[in-house]
Amino acid sequence: MSGVSPSALAEHAFLQGLPAEHTTRIAEAATAVSAPAGYRFFEEGGTAGQFWLIRSGHVALDLHLPGRPPLIVETIGAGSLIGLSWVAPPQEWQYGAQAIQPTTAFELDGAAVLALCDSDPVLGYQLSRRLLTVAAERPHATRIRMADLYAAPRRRVGTS
Amino acid sequence: MSAPALPARYRVTSSQAETHDTVTLGLQPVDQPIASHQPGQFTMLYAFGVGEVPISISGAPAGGSLIQTIRAVGAVTEALCSAAPGQMLGVRGPYGTDWGVASAAGRDLLVVAGGIGLAPLRPAVLAALAARERYRRVSILIGARSPEELVFAGELQAWRDGGAKVQVTVDRAAAGWTGHVGVVTQLIDAADIDAAATTALVCGPEVMMRLTARALQACGIAPQHIRVSMERNMRCGIAECGHCQIGPLLLCRDGPIIDYVRAAPLLAVREL
Repeated sequence: MSGVSPSALAEHAFLQGLPAEHTTRIAEAATAVSAPAGYRFFEEGGTAGQFWLIRSGHVALDLHLPGRPPLIVETIGAGSLIGLSWVAPPQEWQYGAQAIQPTTAFELDGAAVLALCDSDPVLGYQLSRRLLTVAAERPHATRIRMADLYAAPRRRVGTS
Repeated sequence: MSAPALPARYRVTSSQAETHDTVTLGLQPVDQPIASHQPGQFTMLYAFGVGEVPISISGAPAGGSLIQTIRAVGAVTEALCSAAPGQMLGVRGPYGTDWGVASAAGRDLLVVAGGIGLAPLRPAVLAALAARERYRRVSILIGARSPEELVFAGELQAWRDGGAKVQVTVDRAAAGWTGHVGVVTQLIDAADIDAAATTALVCGPEVMMRLTARALQACGIAPQHIRVSMERNMRCGIAECGHCQIGPLLLCRDGPIIDYVRAAPLLAVREL
């Protein structure tokens, strides 16, 4: 028993709308965790075996750059999740993740969730759709930032 | 009656660097001041001998004085940004439509700003906080390129203390930044929005406004309750010259603030 109530799990935005029998099964792979500001959930390059559904607080995904301070790539808040690298080989964290505020989350064991998905294709389909949505939204947000919308306009002759 | 087309002389009384390329000037009339402005309106600021440009008013109405925030992007704006206290500038206006803050009384007010887009929204924020009891929740979501390029950064705590929920996100930040990193629409996704009772005021680059309006509509906010600030090349300020025409609108008169019902088709047209 993980001690995570299926009803609490069902309230998380990522799992909203799932049938109760699915959240009950997912709850068996979940652990409620709380982390102080500064706590490091994972390090870039480490083995990726789980993911976290953020309930409160704020987590920074960061990237280590040689000779420079770590770069915060994105921050993730309540209602979203951190950790997608466990889904596909080589199951290695692509970024680091550090709480920048006191954070609470449901930690889910990736291997256990994959086993659930294999044993119940309907549940697997539902989780896959949700993960796909997150995986699609993240690069969209990144591309918008790459557009550098707030940069000064390029100077043209006649710019006033 | 149209605002006069001749500039009134104003003296620079203060100059505050907001970022490396953005300055907020305090201006005091030397002669007869221009008419009192509404939040969202702009003036034509004239750097004598250099040129004249439209600049949003970024302060609350205060007698005849003005607060204006300028980003140096060309010869005129560079001259304005480098104007020192005591220097004389020409001012025409105020021109254009306003945010209509008072019409949002009894509703949630959601302000979404991108970059220097916070400057024309600042008077709306100050007006809402000065009459805080007239509004339900006041939320301010701000996107900036980096923490160093955030304008009015020193005021945000005062806005929070005045009853607004303020959130900031930046495109990029080094370790040590404890705010959000991401696009401003992600703050909308995470916000608790009562769509039927929310009026949204949005200002920033056009792409940001389009994406923001899309996110707001996805939350259920009707386009007539989303107001955006459109900019084009305003010259005369009195709808005579046509430089600022966009579709059927002359933005110096019909804008800069328009609702998203009218803005959406214009923002969707390339090269308009």
